[in-house]
Amino acid sequence: MNGNRKPDPALWGLTALFAVLVPVLLLGRDPGDRPAAEPTLVDDVFRTGASIRLSARELIEDEGDTSGMECYACHEEGKIAKLHKDEGGLVAASTNHLDLVYARLNCAGCHKESEEVDLEWDDDDNLIIPLHHRQPPMRHGRFGRNNDCYNCHVPEKLDKVRTRKGELFDLKDSTQLCASCHGPAYREWEQGVHGRQNGYWNRKLGQSARQDCTSCHDPHSPAFPSMRPAPGIAHTAERAPTSGESSHE
Amino acid sequence: MSDPQSQPSRKSRRTFLAKGAAAVSGMAAMAAALEPLRHLNDFTNVEEFLRKHYKELTPDELDARLKVIEKQVEQRHGVQATVKDLKPMDGVEFVYCLNLTRCIGCRKCVHACVAENNQFRSPEVQYISVIKMPQGTFDMEKGEHDYDAATVPEEGSFYMPVQCHQCRNAPCVQVCPVEATWQEPDGITVVDYDWCIGCRYCMAACPYFARRFNWKKPTIPKEEINPDMSLLGNRPRPVGVVEKCHFCLQRTRAGKYPACLEVCPTGSRKFGNILDPDSEVSHILREKRVFVLKEEAGTSPRFYYYFDT
Repeated sequence: MNGNRKPDPALWGLTALFAVLVPVLLLGRDPGDRPAAEPTLVDDVFRTGASIRLSARELIEDEGDTSGMECYACHEEGKIAKLHKDEGGLVAASTNHLDLVYARLNCAGCHKESEEVDLEWDDDDNLIIPLHHRQPPMRHGRFGRNNDCYNCHVPEKLDKVRTRKGELFDLKDSTQLCASCHGPAYREWEQGVHGRQNGYWNRKLGQSARQDCTSCHDPHSPAFPSMRPAPGIAHTAERAPTSGESSHE
Repeated sequence: MSDPQSQPSRKSRRTFLAKGAAAVSGMAAMAAALEPLRHLNDFTNVEEFLRKHYKELTPDELDARLKVIEKQVEQRHGVQATVKDLKPMDGVEFVYCLNLTRCIGCRKCVHACVAENNQFRSPEVQYISVIKMPQGTFDMEKGEHDYDAATVPEEGSFYMPVQCHQCRNAPCVQVCPVEATWQEPDGITVVDYDWCIGCRYCMAACPYFARRFNWKKPTIPKEEINPDMSLLGNRPRPVGVVEKCHFCLQRTRAGKYPACLEVCPTGSRKFGNILDPDSEVSHILREKRVFVLKEEAGTSPRFYYYFDT
Protein backbone atom coordinates (compact mmCIF):
# COMPACT_ATOMS: atom_id res chain seq x y z
CA MET A 1 0.00 0.00 0.00
CA ASN A 2 2.90 2.26 0.62
CA GLY A 3 3.48 4.27 -2.54
CA ASN A 4 7.26 4.22 -2.13
CA ARG A 5 7.51 0.39 -2.15
CA LYS A 6 7.16 -1.54 -5.36
CA PRO A 7 3.97 -3.57 -5.01
CA ASP A 8 4.40 -5.44 -8.27
CA PRO A 9 5.88 -8.85 -7.34
CA ALA A 10 3.38 -9.54 -4.57
CA LEU A 11 0.43 -8.41 -6.63
CA TRP A 12 1.50 -10.28 -9.73
CA GLY A 13 2.06 -13.35 -7.54
CA LEU A 14 -1.47 -13.02 -6.17
CA THR A 15 -2.81 -12.55 -9.68
CA ALA A 16 -1.08 -15.73 -10.80
CA LEU A 17 -2.40 -17.59 -7.75
CA PHE A 18 -5.97 -16.48 -8.40
CA ALA A 19 -5.66 -17.25 -12.07
CA VAL A 20 -4.61 -20.78 -11.20
CA LEU A 21 -7.40 -21.07 -8.62
CA VAL A 22 -10.13 -20.26 -11.14
CA PRO A 23 -9.81 -23.41 -13.26
CA VAL A 24 -9.01 -25.53 -10.19
CA LEU A 25 -12.18 -24.42 -8.42
CA LEU A 26 -14.29 -24.68 -11.51
CA LEU A 27 -13.10 -28.13 -12.48
CA GLY A 28 -12.66 -29.67 -9.04
CA ARG A 29 -16.23 -30.28 -7.90
CA ASP A 30 -17.45 -30.66 -4.38
CA PRO A 31 -17.46 -34.43 -3.83
CA GLY A 32 -20.99 -34.28 -2.42
CA ASP A 33 -22.20 -33.05 -5.77
CA ARG A 34 -20.84 -36.02 -7.68
CA PRO A 35 -23.58 -38.36 -8.88
CA ALA A 36 -24.15 -41.14 -6.39
CA ALA A 37 -23.21 -44.71 -7.11
CA GLU A 38 -25.56 -46.92 -9.04
CA PRO A 39 -28.30 -47.79 -6.59
CA THR A 40 -28.05 -51.30 -5.30
CA LEU A 41 -31.47 -52.79 -5.36
CA VAL A 42 -32.40 -56.00 -3.76
CA ASP A 43 -34.46 -58.67 -5.47
CA ASP A 44 -38.21 -58.32 -4.96
CA VAL A 45 -38.20 -61.91 -3.77
CA PHE A 46 -36.66 -60.72 -0.53
CA ARG A 47 -39.39 -58.17 0.01
CA THR A 48 -42.45 -60.26 -0.67
CA GLY A 49 -44.75 -61.11 2.17
CA ALA A 50 -45.92 -64.31 0.47
CA SER A 51 -45.98 -67.37 2.68
CA ILE A 52 -43.80 -70.27 1.64
CA ARG A 53 -46.67 -72.75 1.31
CA LEU A 54 -50.35 -72.77 0.54
CA SER A 55 -52.63 -74.58 2.91
CA ALA A 56 -55.32 -76.80 1.41
CA ARG A 57 -57.86 -74.13 2.28
CA GLU A 58 -55.83 -71.44 0.50
CA LEU A 59 -55.27 -73.70 -2.50
CA ILE A 60 -59.00 -74.32 -2.83
CA GLU A 61 -59.96 -70.68 -2.23
CA ASP A 62 -57.38 -69.42 -4.74
CA GLU A 63 -58.64 -71.99 -7.25
CA GLY A 64 -55.18 -73.50 -7.54
CA ASP A 65 -54.35 -76.92 -8.85
CA THR A 66 -56.21 -79.28 -6.54
CA SER A 67 -55.96 -82.31 -8.80
CA GLY A 68 -53.49 -83.88 -6.39
CA MET A 69 -56.19 -83.86 -3.74
CA GLU A 70 -58.50 -86.09 -5.71
CA CYS A 71 -57.28 -89.19 -3.92
CA TYR A 72 -59.61 -91.60 -5.68
CA ALA A 73 -58.38 -90.66 -9.10
CA CYS A 74 -55.59 -93.16 -8.37
CA HIS A 75 -56.62 -95.01 -5.23
CA GLU A 76 -59.45 -97.47 -5.27
CA GLU A 77 -62.31 -96.54 -2.98
CA GLY A 78 -62.85 -99.02 -0.19
CA LYS A 79 -59.45 -100.61 -0.67
CA ILE A 80 -56.92 -99.58 1.92
CA ALA A 81 -53.66 -98.39 0.37
CA LYS A 82 -50.62 -100.25 1.60
CA LEU A 83 -47.75 -98.26 3.04
CA HIS A 84 -44.22 -98.74 1.76
CA LYS A 85 -41.27 -98.39 4.07
CA ASP A 86 -37.69 -97.58 3.27
CA GLU A 87 -34.64 -99.41 4.66
CA GLY A 88 -34.74 -97.27 7.79
CA GLY A 89 -38.28 -98.40 8.49
CA LEU A 90 -39.73 -94.96 7.72
CA VAL A 91 -42.80 -94.64 5.57
CA ALA A 92 -41.79 -93.63 2.07
CA ALA A 93 -44.66 -91.79 0.41
CA SER A 94 -45.13 -92.55 -3.27
CA THR A 95 -43.53 -90.11 -5.69
CA ASN A 96 -46.96 -89.94 -7.31
CA HIS A 97 -47.76 -87.46 -4.60
CA LEU A 98 -45.16 -85.02 -5.92
CA ASP A 99 -47.70 -83.05 -7.97
CA LEU A 100 -49.55 -82.27 -4.81
CA VAL A 101 -46.33 -81.32 -3.08
CA TYR A 102 -45.56 -78.82 -5.84
CA ALA A 103 -49.06 -77.41 -5.83
CA ARG A 104 -48.73 -76.70 -2.14
CA LEU A 105 -45.43 -74.88 -2.40
CA ASN A 106 -45.89 -71.17 -2.90
CA CYS A 107 -43.27 -70.40 -5.55
CA ALA A 108 -43.66 -66.63 -5.04
CA GLY A 109 -42.40 -67.01 -1.48
CA CYS A 110 -38.88 -67.71 -2.76
CA HIS A 111 -38.74 -67.18 -6.55
CA LYS A 112 -39.40 -64.49 -9.11
CA GLU A 113 -41.70 -65.30 -12.00
CA SER A 114 -38.97 -64.61 -14.54
CA GLU A 115 -36.22 -66.36 -12.62
CA GLU A 116 -33.98 -68.76 -14.49
CA VAL A 117 -33.39 -71.92 -12.54
CA ASP A 118 -30.30 -74.05 -13.00
CA LEU A 119 -31.53 -77.58 -13.41
CA GLU A 120 -29.23 -80.46 -12.58
CA TRP A 121 -29.39 -83.95 -13.98
CA ASP A 122 -28.01 -87.16 -12.57
CA ASP A 123 -26.01 -89.81 -14.46
CA ASP A 124 -29.16 -91.51 -15.74
CA ASP A 125 -30.50 -88.20 -17.11
CA ASN A 126 -33.07 -87.85 -14.37
CA LEU A 127 -33.81 -84.39 -13.10
CA ILE A 128 -32.40 -83.84 -9.62
CA ILE A 129 -35.23 -82.24 -7.71
CA PRO A 130 -33.94 -79.66 -5.26
CA LEU A 131 -34.10 -80.73 -1.66
CA HIS A 132 -36.85 -78.39 -0.50
CA HIS A 133 -39.11 -79.55 -3.31
CA ARG A 134 -38.84 -83.23 -2.74
CA GLN A 135 -41.55 -85.03 -0.87
CA PRO A 136 -39.69 -85.12 2.38
CA PRO A 137 -39.36 -88.39 4.21
CA MET A 138 -41.84 -88.60 7.01
CA ARG A 139 -40.34 -86.53 9.78
CA HIS A 140 -43.33 -85.62 11.89
CA GLY A 141 -42.38 -86.17 15.48
CA ARG A 142 -38.90 -86.54 16.79
CA PHE A 143 -38.57 -90.22 17.51
CA GLY A 144 -40.17 -91.80 14.50
CA ARG A 145 -43.33 -92.46 16.44
CA ASN A 146 -45.62 -90.44 14.20
CA ASN A 147 -44.58 -91.71 10.84
CA ASP A 148 -47.65 -93.61 9.81
CA CYS A 149 -49.86 -91.95 7.17
CA TYR A 150 -52.93 -93.34 8.93
CA ASN A 151 -52.17 -91.53 12.18
CA CYS A 152 -53.83 -88.54 10.54
CA HIS A 153 -55.23 -89.68 7.18
CA VAL A 154 -58.24 -91.96 7.22
CA PRO A 155 -57.57 -95.22 5.36
CA GLU A 156 -61.15 -95.59 4.20
CA LYS A 157 -61.62 -91.90 3.37
CA LEU A 158 -58.38 -90.57 1.99
CA ASP A 159 -59.72 -87.03 1.55
CA LYS A 160 -60.36 -86.69 5.27
CA VAL A 161 -58.13 -86.45 8.31
CA ARG A 162 -58.91 -87.82 11.74
CA THR A 163 -57.82 -86.89 15.25
CA ARG A 164 -56.85 -89.44 17.87
CA LYS A 165 -60.30 -89.06 19.36
CA GLY A 166 -61.83 -89.96 16.02
CA GLU A 167 -63.13 -86.57 14.91
CA LEU A 168 -63.12 -86.26 11.12
CA PHE A 169 -62.08 -83.08 9.30
CA ASP A 170 -61.79 -82.03 5.68
CA LEU A 171 -58.24 -81.36 4.49
CA LYS A 172 -59.01 -77.64 4.38
CA ASP A 173 -59.79 -77.68 8.12
CA SER A 174 -56.56 -79.41 9.03
CA THR A 175 -55.72 -76.71 11.59
CA GLN A 176 -58.22 -78.39 13.91
CA LEU A 177 -56.42 -81.69 13.45
CA CYS A 178 -53.08 -80.08 14.40
CA ALA A 179 -54.79 -78.48 17.41
CA SER A 180 -55.81 -81.90 18.70
CA CYS A 181 -52.18 -82.64 19.62
CA HIS A 182 -50.49 -79.22 19.69
CA GLY A 183 -52.60 -77.51 22.32
CA PRO A 184 -50.20 -74.80 23.52
CA ALA A 185 -49.19 -73.82 19.98
CA TYR A 186 -52.85 -73.74 18.96
CA ARG A 187 -53.80 -71.50 21.90
CA GLU A 188 -50.98 -69.12 21.00
CA TRP A 189 -52.06 -69.20 17.36
CA GLU A 190 -55.57 -68.23 18.44
CA GLN A 191 -54.05 -65.30 20.36
CA GLY A 192 -52.09 -64.29 17.26
CA VAL A 193 -48.81 -65.05 19.01
CA HIS A 194 -47.79 -68.22 17.17
CA GLY A 195 -47.38 -67.80 13.43
CA ARG A 196 -47.99 -64.91 11.15
CA GLN A 197 -50.64 -62.31 11.73
CA ASN A 198 -50.87 -59.68 9.00
CA GLY A 199 -52.88 -56.58 8.24
CA TYR A 200 -54.08 -54.31 11.03
CA TRP A 201 -53.03 -54.39 14.68
CA ASN A 202 -55.98 -52.09 15.33
CA ARG A 203 -59.01 -54.27 14.57
CA LYS A 204 -61.30 -51.22 14.60
CA LEU A 205 -59.50 -49.78 11.59
CA GLY A 206 -59.10 -52.92 9.50
CA GLN A 207 -58.93 -56.66 9.22
CA SER A 208 -56.08 -58.85 10.27
CA ALA A 209 -55.41 -62.17 8.63
CA ARG A 210 -54.12 -65.30 10.30
CA GLN A 211 -52.74 -68.18 8.32
CA ASP A 212 -53.29 -71.90 8.67
CA CYS A 213 -50.73 -74.22 10.25
CA THR A 214 -49.97 -75.67 6.83
CA SER A 215 -49.30 -72.24 5.30
CA CYS A 216 -45.89 -72.46 6.94
CA HIS A 217 -45.47 -76.07 8.09
CA ASP A 218 -45.44 -79.08 5.84
CA PRO A 219 -47.53 -81.51 7.90
CA HIS A 220 -45.30 -84.39 6.82
CA SER A 221 -42.14 -82.57 7.87
CA PRO A 222 -43.22 -79.68 10.04
CA ALA A 223 -39.91 -78.00 10.80
CA PHE A 224 -39.68 -74.63 9.02
CA PRO A 225 -37.42 -75.12 5.99
CA SER A 226 -34.14 -73.30 5.55
CA MET A 227 -34.15 -70.33 3.17
CA ARG A 228 -31.75 -68.34 1.07
CA PRO A 229 -30.95 -65.19 3.06
CA ALA A 230 -31.29 -61.74 1.55
CA PRO A 231 -27.98 -59.93 0.98
CA GLY A 232 -26.45 -58.12 3.93
CA ILE A 233 -24.95 -54.67 4.16
CA ALA A 234 -21.89 -55.61 2.08
CA HIS A 235 -23.91 -55.97 -1.11
CA THR A 236 -24.33 -52.22 -1.20
CA ALA A 237 -20.67 -51.49 -0.44
CA GLU A 238 -19.36 -53.80 -3.14
CA ARG A 239 -20.88 -51.79 -5.93
CA ALA A 240 -19.96 -48.39 -4.49
CA PRO A 241 -18.06 -46.08 -6.88
CA THR A 242 -14.29 -46.15 -7.06
CA SER A 243 -14.05 -42.68 -5.59
CA GLY A 244 -12.24 -43.89 -2.51
CA GLU A 245 -15.29 -43.52 -0.34
CA SER A 246 -16.11 -46.37 1.93
CA SER A 247 -19.54 -47.59 2.85
CA HIS A 248 -21.43 -45.50 5.37
CA GLU A 249 -20.70 -47.78 8.27
CA MET B 1 6.37 19.03 -15.50
CA SER B 2 8.94 16.47 -16.31
CA ASP B 3 10.69 14.20 -13.84
CA PRO B 4 9.38 14.96 -10.35
CA GLN B 5 5.75 14.84 -11.49
CA SER B 6 5.86 12.05 -14.02
CA GLN B 7 7.58 9.60 -11.68
CA PRO B 8 4.66 9.06 -9.30
CA SER B 9 2.15 9.07 -12.17
CA ARG B 10 4.01 6.28 -13.97
CA LYS B 11 4.28 4.42 -10.72
CA SER B 12 0.60 4.72 -9.95
CA ARG B 13 -0.34 3.51 -13.43
CA ARG B 14 1.75 0.41 -12.94
CA THR B 15 0.30 -0.08 -9.50
CA PHE B 16 -3.17 0.34 -10.91
CA LEU B 17 -2.59 -2.28 -13.56
CA ALA B 18 -1.10 -4.75 -11.09
CA LYS B 19 -3.83 -4.15 -8.52
CA GLY B 20 -6.48 -4.28 -11.20
CA ALA B 21 -5.24 -7.61 -12.56
CA ALA B 22 -5.07 -9.05 -9.04
CA ALA B 23 -8.56 -7.79 -8.24
CA VAL B 24 -10.09 -9.15 -11.46
CA SER B 25 -8.49 -12.55 -11.11
CA GLY B 26 -9.36 -12.51 -7.41
CA MET B 27 -13.00 -11.86 -8.21
CA ALA B 28 -12.94 -14.53 -10.86
CA ALA B 29 -11.48 -16.97 -8.33
CA MET B 30 -14.14 -16.02 -5.81
CA ALA B 31 -16.87 -16.48 -8.39
CA ALA B 32 -15.42 -19.89 -9.21
CA ALA B 33 -15.29 -20.79 -5.53
CA LEU B 34 -18.93 -19.82 -5.07
CA GLU B 35 -20.01 -21.60 -8.21
CA PRO B 36 -21.31 -24.71 -6.37
CA LEU B 37 -23.89 -22.48 -4.69
CA ARG B 38 -25.71 -22.29 -7.99
CA HIS B 39 -26.44 -26.00 -7.70
CA LEU B 40 -27.77 -25.60 -4.20
CA ASN B 41 -31.46 -25.49 -4.94
CA ASP B 42 -32.34 -26.59 -1.41
CA PHE B 43 -32.62 -22.96 -0.33
CA THR B 44 -35.32 -22.05 -2.75
CA ASN B 45 -37.06 -19.51 -0.56
CA VAL B 46 -36.82 -17.52 2.62
CA GLU B 47 -39.62 -19.45 4.34
CA GLU B 48 -37.60 -22.61 3.95
CA PHE B 49 -34.69 -20.92 5.64
CA LEU B 50 -36.76 -19.43 8.49
CA ARG B 51 -38.87 -22.53 9.15
CA LYS B 52 -39.85 -23.45 12.71
CA HIS B 53 -39.40 -26.51 14.87
CA TYR B 54 -42.12 -29.12 14.31
CA LYS B 55 -43.59 -28.57 17.76
CA GLU B 56 -43.91 -24.81 17.22
CA LEU B 57 -45.84 -25.06 13.98
CA THR B 58 -49.46 -23.92 14.04
CA PRO B 59 -51.90 -26.20 12.19
CA ASP B 60 -51.88 -23.85 9.19
CA GLU B 61 -48.10 -23.68 9.10
CA LEU B 62 -47.97 -27.45 9.37
CA ASP B 63 -50.26 -27.84 6.35
CA ALA B 64 -48.09 -25.41 4.42
CA ARG B 65 -45.01 -27.37 5.42
CA LEU B 66 -46.55 -30.62 4.18
CA LYS B 67 -47.30 -28.98 0.84
CA VAL B 68 -43.73 -27.67 0.59
CA ILE B 69 -42.35 -31.14 1.21
CA GLU B 70 -44.70 -32.69 -1.34
CA LYS B 71 -43.40 -30.17 -3.86
CA GLN B 72 -39.79 -30.91 -2.91
CA VAL B 73 -40.35 -34.63 -3.35
CA GLU B 74 -41.80 -33.98 -6.78
CA GLN B 75 -38.87 -31.76 -7.77
CA ARG B 76 -36.14 -34.01 -6.47
CA HIS B 77 -37.56 -37.45 -7.11
CA GLY B 78 -40.22 -36.88 -9.75
CA VAL B 79 -42.92 -38.62 -7.76
CA GLN B 80 -46.37 -37.41 -6.70
CA ALA B 81 -46.42 -38.24 -3.02
CA THR B 82 -48.85 -37.56 -0.22
CA VAL B 83 -47.09 -36.36 2.90
CA LYS B 84 -49.22 -36.64 6.02
CA ASP B 85 -48.65 -35.87 9.64
CA LEU B 86 -50.28 -38.70 11.55
CA LYS B 87 -50.65 -37.98 15.25
CA PRO B 88 -50.29 -40.54 18.06
CA MET B 89 -53.56 -42.26 18.98
CA ASP B 90 -55.05 -41.88 22.44
CA GLY B 91 -54.59 -44.87 24.73
CA VAL B 92 -51.92 -46.44 22.54
CA GLU B 93 -48.36 -47.27 23.49
CA PHE B 94 -46.48 -49.31 20.93
CA VAL B 95 -44.32 -52.25 21.87
CA TYR B 96 -42.40 -54.69 19.72
CA CYS B 97 -41.68 -58.32 20.61
CA LEU B 98 -39.29 -60.54 18.72
CA ASN B 99 -39.19 -64.32 19.04
CA LEU B 100 -35.58 -65.50 19.04
CA THR B 101 -36.65 -69.14 18.88
CA ARG B 102 -38.35 -68.58 15.53
CA CYS B 103 -36.13 -66.04 13.73
CA ILE B 104 -34.13 -67.76 10.99
CA GLY B 105 -32.04 -64.73 9.95
CA CYS B 106 -33.42 -64.44 6.39
CA ARG B 107 -33.05 -60.61 6.45
CA LYS B 108 -36.38 -60.05 4.70
CA CYS B 109 -37.27 -57.52 7.39
CA VAL B 110 -34.18 -55.46 6.55
CA HIS B 111 -35.17 -55.01 2.92
CA ALA B 112 -38.89 -54.58 3.47
CA CYS B 113 -37.94 -51.73 5.80
CA VAL B 114 -35.75 -50.09 3.17
CA ALA B 115 -38.52 -50.31 0.59
CA GLU B 116 -41.16 -48.93 2.95
CA ASN B 117 -39.16 -46.09 4.44
CA ASN B 118 -37.48 -44.54 1.39
CA GLN B 119 -33.94 -44.99 2.60
CA PHE B 120 -30.97 -43.89 0.55
CA ARG B 121 -29.95 -46.78 -1.73
CA SER B 122 -26.33 -46.25 -2.71
CA PRO B 123 -25.01 -47.42 -0.39
CA GLU B 124 -28.13 -48.68 1.28
CA VAL B 125 -29.14 -47.32 4.67
CA GLN B 126 -30.54 -50.16 6.75
CA TYR B 127 -32.39 -49.62 10.02
CA ILE B 128 -32.33 -53.28 11.04
CA SER B 129 -29.12 -55.19 11.72
CA VAL B 130 -29.61 -58.94 11.92
CA ILE B 131 -26.84 -60.31 14.10
CA LYS B 132 -25.83 -63.93 13.85
CA MET B 133 -24.81 -65.24 17.25
CA PRO B 134 -23.29 -68.56 18.27
CA GLN B 135 -25.67 -70.60 20.39
CA GLY B 136 -24.95 -70.52 24.09
CA THR B 137 -23.81 -66.94 24.51
CA PHE B 138 -25.12 -63.39 24.49
CA ASP B 139 -21.70 -61.87 24.06
CA MET B 140 -22.42 -59.34 21.32
CA GLU B 141 -18.74 -59.28 20.40
CA LYS B 142 -19.15 -62.80 19.06
CA GLY B 143 -21.99 -61.63 16.84
CA GLU B 144 -21.62 -61.38 13.09
CA HIS B 145 -23.52 -58.77 11.14
CA ASP B 146 -22.54 -59.47 7.57
CA TYR B 147 -22.95 -63.24 7.50
CA ASP B 148 -23.31 -64.81 4.11
CA ALA B 149 -24.68 -68.32 3.84
CA ALA B 150 -26.31 -70.35 1.08
CA THR B 151 -29.22 -71.08 3.38
CA VAL B 152 -30.24 -69.99 6.85
CA PRO B 153 -30.57 -70.89 9.67
CA GLU B 154 -27.08 -72.26 10.06
CA GLU B 155 -26.36 -75.06 12.49
CA GLY B 156 -25.26 -73.80 15.90
CA SER B 157 -26.34 -70.19 15.38
CA PHE B 158 -29.24 -68.04 16.38
CA TYR B 159 -30.21 -64.70 14.89
CA MET B 160 -30.97 -61.48 16.66
CA PRO B 161 -32.37 -58.56 14.67
CA VAL B 162 -31.63 -55.19 16.29
CA GLN B 163 -33.30 -51.91 15.42
CA CYS B 164 -34.38 -48.79 17.31
CA HIS B 165 -35.68 -49.91 20.70
CA GLN B 166 -37.83 -46.77 21.22
CA CYS B 167 -36.47 -46.49 24.77
CA ARG B 168 -38.54 -44.97 27.55
CA ASN B 169 -35.33 -43.45 28.89
CA ALA B 170 -33.73 -42.62 25.56
CA PRO B 171 -30.11 -41.45 25.64
CA CYS B 172 -30.36 -40.14 22.07
CA VAL B 173 -33.12 -37.73 23.07
CA GLN B 174 -31.17 -36.50 26.09
CA VAL B 175 -28.00 -35.68 24.16
CA CYS B 176 -29.59 -33.87 21.22
CA PRO B 177 -28.39 -30.25 21.56
CA VAL B 178 -31.22 -28.82 19.45
CA GLU B 179 -34.19 -31.00 20.50
CA ALA B 180 -34.53 -32.36 17.00
CA THR B 181 -35.46 -35.79 18.36
CA TRP B 182 -38.05 -36.56 21.03
CA GLN B 183 -40.42 -39.20 22.29
CA GLU B 184 -44.05 -39.06 21.24
CA PRO B 185 -46.94 -40.10 23.55
CA ASP B 186 -47.31 -43.45 21.75
CA GLY B 187 -43.69 -44.28 22.54
CA ILE B 188 -42.12 -43.63 19.16
CA THR B 189 -38.96 -41.55 19.20
CA VAL B 190 -39.09 -39.33 16.12
CA VAL B 191 -36.64 -37.03 14.36
CA ASP B 192 -37.51 -33.63 12.89
CA TYR B 193 -35.34 -33.94 9.78
CA ASP B 194 -35.66 -30.20 9.17
CA TRP B 195 -34.29 -29.38 12.59
CA CYS B 196 -31.45 -31.90 12.87
CA ILE B 197 -28.03 -30.29 12.55
CA GLY B 198 -26.25 -33.57 11.91
CA CYS B 199 -23.92 -33.47 14.92
CA ARG B 200 -24.40 -37.24 15.40
CA TYR B 201 -24.33 -37.07 19.22
CA CYS B 202 -27.41 -39.30 19.24
CA MET B 203 -25.58 -41.94 17.24
CA ALA B 204 -22.79 -41.96 19.78
CA ALA B 205 -25.27 -42.15 22.65
CA CYS B 206 -27.36 -45.04 21.31
CA PRO B 207 -26.31 -48.34 22.88
CA TYR B 208 -28.08 -50.31 20.12
CA PHE B 209 -26.38 -48.75 17.09
CA ALA B 210 -29.82 -47.90 15.77
CA ARG B 211 -29.30 -44.50 14.17
CA ARG B 212 -28.01 -43.81 10.68
CA PHE B 213 -26.54 -40.71 9.07
CA ASN B 214 -27.13 -39.46 5.52
CA TRP B 215 -23.63 -38.85 4.27
CA LYS B 216 -24.77 -37.95 0.80
CA LYS B 217 -27.68 -36.35 -0.92
CA PRO B 218 -30.10 -39.26 -0.89
CA THR B 219 -30.91 -40.75 -4.25
CA ILE B 220 -33.70 -43.24 -4.67
CA PRO B 221 -34.81 -44.63 -8.03
CA LYS B 222 -38.17 -43.13 -8.93
CA GLU B 223 -39.97 -46.46 -9.20
CA GLU B 224 -38.71 -47.49 -5.78
CA ILE B 225 -40.21 -44.56 -3.89
CA ASN B 226 -43.04 -45.27 -1.51
CA PRO B 227 -45.41 -42.33 -2.12
CA ASP B 228 -47.32 -42.84 1.14
CA MET B 229 -45.22 -40.56 3.33
CA SER B 230 -45.28 -39.07 6.73
CA LEU B 231 -43.54 -35.91 7.92
CA LEU B 232 -41.73 -37.45 10.90
CA GLY B 233 -41.48 -40.86 9.27
CA ASN B 234 -40.55 -42.06 5.82
CA ARG B 235 -40.44 -38.95 3.68
CA PRO B 236 -37.07 -38.68 1.88
CA ARG B 237 -34.44 -37.18 4.13
CA PRO B 238 -32.04 -34.37 3.21
CA VAL B 239 -28.29 -34.88 3.29
CA GLY B 240 -26.55 -34.48 6.65
CA VAL B 241 -29.32 -35.58 9.00
CA VAL B 242 -29.79 -38.58 11.23
CA GLU B 243 -32.61 -41.08 10.76
CA LYS B 244 -33.72 -44.35 12.32
CA CYS B 245 -36.54 -46.85 12.73
CA HIS B 246 -39.80 -45.18 13.78
CA PHE B 247 -41.94 -48.33 13.93
CA CYS B 248 -43.21 -47.39 10.43
CA LEU B 249 -45.33 -44.64 11.97
CA GLN B 250 -46.97 -43.93 8.61
CA ARG B 251 -48.40 -47.47 8.83
CA THR B 252 -48.75 -48.10 12.55
CA ARG B 253 -50.50 -44.81 13.33
CA ALA B 254 -53.00 -45.80 10.65
CA GLY B 255 -53.61 -49.09 12.46
CA LYS B 256 -51.43 -51.34 10.31
CA TYR B 257 -48.53 -53.56 11.27
CA PRO B 258 -45.03 -52.32 10.45
CA ALA B 259 -43.40 -53.45 7.18
CA CYS B 260 -40.78 -55.67 8.85
CA LEU B 261 -43.52 -57.67 10.56
CA GLU B 262 -45.53 -58.05 7.37
CA VAL B 263 -42.77 -59.88 5.53
CA CYS B 264 -41.41 -62.02 8.32
CA PRO B 265 -41.94 -65.57 6.99
CA THR B 266 -41.76 -67.19 10.42
CA GLY B 267 -44.00 -64.89 12.42
CA SER B 268 -41.14 -64.00 14.77
CA ARG B 269 -42.13 -60.36 14.88
CA LYS B 270 -45.04 -59.18 17.00
CA PHE B 271 -46.24 -55.64 17.35
CA GLY B 272 -49.10 -53.94 19.10
CA ASN B 273 -50.55 -51.80 21.82
CA ILE B 274 -49.31 -52.67 25.28
CA LEU B 275 -52.21 -50.77 26.86
CA ASP B 276 -54.67 -53.22 25.28
CA PRO B 277 -54.70 -56.37 27.45
CA ASP B 278 -55.95 -58.49 24.52
CA SER B 279 -53.15 -57.56 22.14
CA GLU B 280 -50.52 -60.09 21.07
CA VAL B 281 -47.75 -58.14 22.77
CA SER B 282 -49.62 -58.04 26.08
CA HIS B 283 -50.07 -61.80 25.88
CA ILE B 284 -46.36 -62.29 25.19
CA LEU B 285 -45.28 -60.05 28.06
CA ARG B 286 -47.61 -61.96 30.41
CA GLU B 287 -46.83 -65.49 29.30
CA LYS B 288 -43.35 -65.65 27.77
CA ARG B 289 -39.79 -65.45 28.96
CA VAL B 290 -38.99 -61.92 27.89
CA PHE B 291 -35.80 -59.90 28.13
CA VAL B 292 -34.45 -56.60 26.88
CA LEU B 293 -31.09 -56.03 25.28
CA LYS B 294 -28.44 -54.27 27.38
CA GLU B 295 -30.73 -53.92 30.36
CA GLU B 296 -27.78 -52.54 32.33
CA ALA B 297 -27.76 -49.45 30.10
CA GLY B 298 -30.95 -48.39 31.87
CA THR B 299 -32.70 -47.41 28.67
CA SER B 300 -35.92 -49.33 29.38
CA PRO B 301 -36.66 -50.24 25.76
CA ARG B 302 -40.05 -50.85 24.18
CA PHE B 303 -38.48 -53.65 22.17
CA TYR B 304 -38.55 -57.07 23.82
CA TYR B 305 -36.96 -60.37 22.88
CA TYR B 306 -38.53 -63.62 23.94
CA PHE B 307 -38.26 -67.39 23.65
CA ASP B 308 -40.89 -69.96 22.85
CA THR B 309 -39.83 -72.60 25.31
